[in-house]
Amino acid sequence: MTLNVTGLSAVRSGRTILHPTTLEIPPRSRIGLVGASGSGKSTLGHVLIDDLRARGYNVAHVPQSPDEALDPLRSMAFHWREAEMALGLATGSTDRVGLFRALKIEGGDMRKRPWGWSRGMQQRFVIAMALIGAPDLIVLDEPTSALDPVVAATTMDLLSVTLKDRNTAMLLITHDLGLAARRVDTLMVMDEGRLVERGRTEDILENPQTRAAKSLSAHRSWLALPC
Amino acid sequence: MLTVSNLRVKRGARVTLHDISLSLPAGKTLAVVGESGAGKSTLIAAILGLLKPSGGQIAWNGAPTRMVRPALVMQEPRAAFNPVLSLRQSIMEPVVAQNIKLTQERLQRLCAGLELPLDILDRRPGQVSIGQAQRVGILRALIASPPLILFDEPLSALDAVAQKHTARLISDLQGEEGFAALIVTHDLGYAVAHADQIAVLKAGRIEEIADSETFALNPRSEYCRTLRDAAIALGALEAVA
Amino acid sequence: MIKAVCGLLLRAFVVLSGATILTFALLWNAPGDPAQAIAMARFDALLTDEVVDQVRQEVGLDRSFWQAFWAWLGPLLTLDLGFSAVTGRPVWPDLAAAISYTFPLAFSSLAVGLAVSVPLALLATKRPGGWMDRLAVAAASLGNAIPAYWLGLILILLFSVKLAWLPALGASTPAHAILPALTLGLGVAASLTRIIRSGILEARGQPFLPAFRRRGIVEKSIGRDHVAPHAAIPVVTVLGLELAFLLEGLVLVEVIFGRPGLGTFLVQAILARDFAHVQAVVVLTALVFVAVNLAIDLTYRIVDPRIGESDA
Repeated sequence: MTLNVTGLSAVRSGRTILHPTTLEIPPRSRIGLVGASGSGKSTLGHVLIDDLRARGYNVAHVPQSPDEALDPLRSMAFHWREAEMALGLATGSTDRVGLFRALKIEGGDMRKRPWGWSRGMQQRFVIAMALIGAPDLIVLDEPTSALDPVVAATTMDLLSVTLKDRNTAMLLITHDLGLAARRVDTLMVMDEGRLVERGRTEDILENPQTRAAKSLSAHRSWLALPC
Repeated sequence: MLTVSNLRVKRGARVTLHDISLSLPAGKTLAVVGESGAGKSTLIAAILGLLKPSGGQIAWNGAPTRMVRPALVMQEPRAAFNPVLSLRQSIMEPVVAQNIKLTQERLQRLCAGLELPLDILDRRPGQVSIGQAQRVGILRALIASPPLILFDEPLSALDAVAQKHTARLISDLQGEEGFAALIVTHDLGYAVAHADQIAVLKAGRIEEIADSETFALNPRSEYCRTLRDAAIALGALEAVA
Repeated sequence: MIKAVCGLLLRAFVVLSGATILTFALLWNAPGDPAQAIAMARFDALLTDEVVDQVRQEVGLDRSFWQAFWAWLGPLLTLDLGFSAVTGRPVWPDLAAAISYTFPLAFSSLAVGLAVSVPLALLATKRPGGWMDRLAVAAASLGNAIPAYWLGLILILLFSVKLAWLPALGASTPAHAILPALTLGLGVAASLTRIIRSGILEARGQPFLPAFRRRGIVEKSIGRDHVAPHAAIPVVTVLGLELAFLLEGLVLVEVIFGRPGLGTFLVQAILARDFAHVQAVVVLTALVFVAVNLAIDLTYRIVDPRIGESDA
């Protein structure tokens, strides 16, 4: 089902950091939310998650770094069990093996605590945990910026493959249009707390209209390689 | 010219750098890339003289590097400044410590080159944007006109647009000031776009050194191809058919 | 883990030997003639020089410091605490009797401290900065400032003299332990409340908690499974220090309430220059300290397994 939200906004210490925003997220869509730092894209993500959750939708969230998603004192098994219980699912009823295999972390020791795993594996564990209850939407907030490039690229590829056979829609929040370009079919550009442009990815890459979109598009990669 | 020959660093029983040899001519840029834990930061610490190598030599034109006082630009721009001092006070520290003659004109020229309004220097680190703080960090490194500046992940705290902007400012200033730059980064895109040479570090060893063009188009080792393909997959480099 | 335990045991050995040598030396070099003090304590009267010299020889005070120290240490290595030169009886039964009064008091004080401070800290952190929080912090500051001897006397005045609910002096029934335990326990509670409160507040600021809330985990589980363990880390540290505070307070409280425990035992032994008794208390205290610190270090490794990991 298509997720609709209207009039999302946020004010922090008297300043409007997110102006009223309306969004529509069709199932299985791949949406990129891009903008410079301070443009309000993370705020929009948070407000969106809270709003949808309050209305009974199942929305999962993957923060920037595994440090923001895992308790260093608790084992991976504990995190998993807790996430299952939060969704009202019986312990062990979810397809952990399948998710782990899809994300290539089946070798991880569930008895270990997060720091017993590599950071790339931790992040993929967080993604696996986010997909437990077949959510309507998964929101990824700069999911690769804390990872080494090789690990980051692998993580994004595995995520794409894992999402392929699911109904889950994806919202990728990033400052890096280059990262979003290959992963999403719709782009939404934020600037100063407003959604200033939205459209098909190719259209915005080739023909950006607003100042923010032009700047992001012009700076999306370091160099074009003829290969 | 910076020359590092057969550098070997041990931390406890573990060897963190094995037989590193590289050179960086004056005014040129060398990027050192590699994943976390490959020994990039150790290399910087060794060149700055912050740790004692267990073998090999590091020299600038034959003399120990600390004689020329290489400057360092750090990864976390705000954490690199004393939070209770104004940025101007922080910048003046090397000037006072090394007894440098700094003319108002030179300060203005550097600020203009870094696109920093002069009044920003009277603020504290917490009152400026991360991008501005990092440019002030570069200003502090430049102020004593060192022949060598080390950059430790100078862009990783910035957003994609600020990264490219800052990288261009560094390159332009390098043209004017003529310092040699050793840039440690995990962003191969940045390295390819802005460095003359790229050294890939893997588990404390140099996997490959090549000039950046060769590297981007035709890396020799399997590992370097993986790095390049990851940079393409993440959009740092664009592949045009 | 085994390596860590060995390191801790080595540290324990250094602490023990340092403590015993130091107190022996202090007592040996204290002003006045120890032989005279022992003879006075033994016969309870002023004595001639011959008697005092006889005592000096008998107790071995005519030897050098190190000879005397080794003479005491030798039997200790076979767990023999020796005989008291003053009472002429073996040390252990008297010490055991004192322990039987003191240890229950120490544990009930700690229990009172925890029983008061944990709920108080939980109430205070319900709304940080709210009136309950400010009241708890004020009460804790007041509790820290009040000395045990004053609080003890006030409690006696209130519960024994005015209300006549509880006995004040002696140790013949368990009811006799209530007032001393309260006196000590409230002091412990005062400092524990502050530590637990700030521990909870700090644990609530952990960067991963917002993500747990977005995952739909209920506040109750977050508090129990994620805030509490992080808050426990500083509390475990401070419990060791609290024990030191307790031992110090015990001496005072036992004297105030006339309890024949370790505190009274120690004060009498020092006055009589009873080397064997003083040393026995010192060894016992040091052992307790070492054991508690060992227990805390091991608890740490269980609560926060990152401690002791080389590359965490």
